[in-house]
Amino acid sequence: MDRLYNIFSQSVIAVKAFKLRTFFCLFSVALGIAAITIIVAATEGAYKKAYELVARFGPDSILIASGGDEARAIGRFDKTLTMDDVEAIKENFDTAYLVVPMSAMRGINISYRDKKHQTAVFGSTNDYSSVWTWPVVAGSDFTEDDVKGLRNVAIIGTYIAEQLFGSEDPIGKHIRVKNIPVEVVGVLAERGTTPMGSSLDDRIIIPITTLMRKLQNETKYVSTIRARFVDHERLAIRQLEIKQFLRARHNLRPSDPDDFRVITPQEVVKFLVAMTGSLTIFLGVAGVISLVVAGFVLANLFLLSVKERSKEIGIRRATGAKKSDILMQFLSEAVIITTAGGLLGFFLGYASSGLLKMVAEFEMHFSWKAFAAGLVLAWAVGVGFGLQPARKAANMNPIDAIRR
Amino acid sequence: MSLCELKEIRKTYRIGDEDIEVLKGITLNIEKGEFLAIMGTSGSGKTTLMNMIGCLDVPTSGSYKLTGQEVSSLDDDELSTIRNEHIGFIFQSFHLLPYATVLENVLLPTLYLDKRRHNEKELAMNLLKLVGLQDRAKFRPNQLSGGQQQRVAIARALVNEPELLLADEPTGQLDSSTAAEIMKILTEMNNKGTTVVLITHDEKTASHAKRILKISDGMLV
Repeated sequence: MDRLYNIFSQSVIAVKAFKLRTFFCLFSVALGIAAITIIVAATEGAYKKAYELVARFGPDSILIASGGDEARAIGRFDKTLTMDDVEAIKENFDTAYLVVPMSAMRGINISYRDKKHQTAVFGSTNDYSSVWTWPVVAGSDFTEDDVKGLRNVAIIGTYIAEQLFGSEDPIGKHIRVKNIPVEVVGVLAERGTTPMGSSLDDRIIIPITTLMRKLQNETKYVSTIRARFVDHERLAIRQLEIKQFLRARHNLRPSDPDDFRVITPQEVVKFLVAMTGSLTIFLGVAGVISLVVAGFVLANLFLLSVKERSKEIGIRRATGAKKSDILMQFLSEAVIITTAGGLLGFFLGYASSGLLKMVAEFEMHFSWKAFAAGLVLAWAVGVGFGLQPARKAANMNPIDAIRR
Repeated sequence: MSLCELKEIRKTYRIGDEDIEVLKGITLNIEKGEFLAIMGTSGSGKTTLMNMIGCLDVPTSGSYKLTGQEVSSLDDDELSTIRNEHIGFIFQSFHLLPYATVLENVLLPTLYLDKRRHNEKELAMNLLKLVGLQDRAKFRPNQLSGGQQQRVAIARALVNEPELLLADEPTGQLDSSTAAEIMKILTEMNNKGTTVVLITHDEKTASHAKRILKISDGMLV
C-alpha cells in the first residue's frame, strides 16, 4: 500500500507539472462528460415529469381513442366509439369505477359580451372532473341531470376565465359557444401546460349530450372513453380485455386491425419521454463522440509525454521502479486527469442546464445517477485510453530510455 | 566473499543480421569497500559492463554474483528490486527529474522500497547536508549549477544505503574544480565504507581510485 501511495503521489506531482497536457486532456474530457451529464439529467427529468403527470392524471386509468393506428396513419380520424360502448364497458367491467365518454371540438369561437376567444370545447359527463382528477375550484361541477337534460352549462379552464372575464366572477354568467348561450357553473383548477407547450387551461367542458346534439349534430359516436379501475395493478390485463371486448362489439374479424387504441399510463410515460428523445439522442451522440475524441486527445498527448519523459522512465527504472510501477504511475496520471475532467464536466453540465431549460423547455433532474454516470465514463476514458501509453512507458528498456 | 563476482561474462547484441559481441569474457571481482575505476575509450564496452554490474542488463552467458546471489538469471522485477536495494547510480548528465524538487529527487529510490523505513525524509536531509545542499531542498534542478545537480544525484544514489555506488563519467560535464569537488565526495563516501565503481575515460578522474582496470574491445587488459 505504501508503494501504491508513493506512486500515486508521483502521479499527482506529474499532473501538476505537465500543465498543458493536463489542461487539454481535462477540458476535452470535461466537455464530453458535460454532455453525458445533461443527457442523463434530461432523461431522468423527462421520466420524472412523465411519472408526475401520470400520477396526477390517474395511474389507474386507461384512455380508449377512436381510430386504429392504420386509420390515423392515413389521416382518417373517424369516430368509432359509441355511447353504447360506454354503457357496455360499465356493465361488463366490475372493477371499472369510472367510465367517461368524451368528444372534443377545437377552434370554436366563444364570447362573453365584447370579448371573443377561440378554444377547445369538450363534451363529457359530470364525471369529467373526477376521471381526470381535475377539481372544480370555483362554483360547482355540472350534474347528471344537466347531462340528461342536454342543458347549456359549462365548466371552464382558468385561462378562459382570465381571457373572457378578467377579474370578474364568471360563475352564473352566460357565454356564447358558437351560437348557443351557455351558463358558466364552475372553474377548473389550474393545470399548466402540456409537454408540447399548449395550455391545458384553455378549454371549456359542457355536457356531452349538449355537445353532440347541439354542436355536432351527432347521436352515436364519441371520440374517446376514459376508464379508471379499482385493480390498477392489473391494468395491463384490463387493457387486453377491453381490446377483445371492443373488437367483438365492433364486429371486427381476426384479420381486421383495431379501430381504436387503448392507451395506458405506461404508454403515456413512453410517449412523453420520447418527446425529449430527439434532443437526448443528439446530445448523446455528441457526448459519446466528444468523449471518444477526448480519449484520443488523451492517448496522443500521453504517448507524446511518454516519449518526452523517456529519460524520467529510465531514471525511475534504474533506481528500482518495476514495470508495474511505471504502468501504474502513467495510468493513474490519466485517471487523475479524467476524474478531474469528469467532475468539471458534471458542473459544466449542471451550470448549462439552466440555459437549456430556458431555450428548450427542458426538464432536468440532477441526481447521483448523472454524477455517477459521468464519473464512471471519465474513469473508463482514463483507463481505456491511458492504458496503451502507460504500457509503452512500462515496457521501455531502461538502458535505451535513460540514454535518449 | 567478494561484493561482485563476474565470471566469463559475455554479452552479444544482435544488430541487423549481425551478432556483435560487446563483452568477450570478463572475469572480475570487486571487493567490499573498494574504490575501482574501469577505464576505456568509447566503444570499448565499458558502459555495457557498467549496465551489467548495475543489473540494468543481463549477460548472454557467464555468471554474475552480487553479494553472493546469482543475478544473471533474474527476471525484470527481481532485477529492479536488486537495483533499488543494492545499487546507487550516478550519471554523467545527472539525470534528475526536472519537475521535482531537490528533496523529491533524493527521495526517488525510497518510493520503490518494499519495506518503508519511515525516516526517509530525515535520511535524505542528512545526505543533502553531507553534500552541502541542505538549504536547497525545495529548489528545482534547473535552479542549481551542474556541480550542485551532481551532488543531488549522489545523495539520491546513497539514500537507500546501497553497497555499491556506480558512477558513469560523473565529472564528464563539469569544469575541473567542480569535478575535483565531486571526486572528493566520492572518495569520502568510499572512506565511509561504500564500494565505488567509477567508469571513465579520463586518467585524472580514474586516478582517485585505488585500483584501475582497463577495458578494451570487450576485454579487460
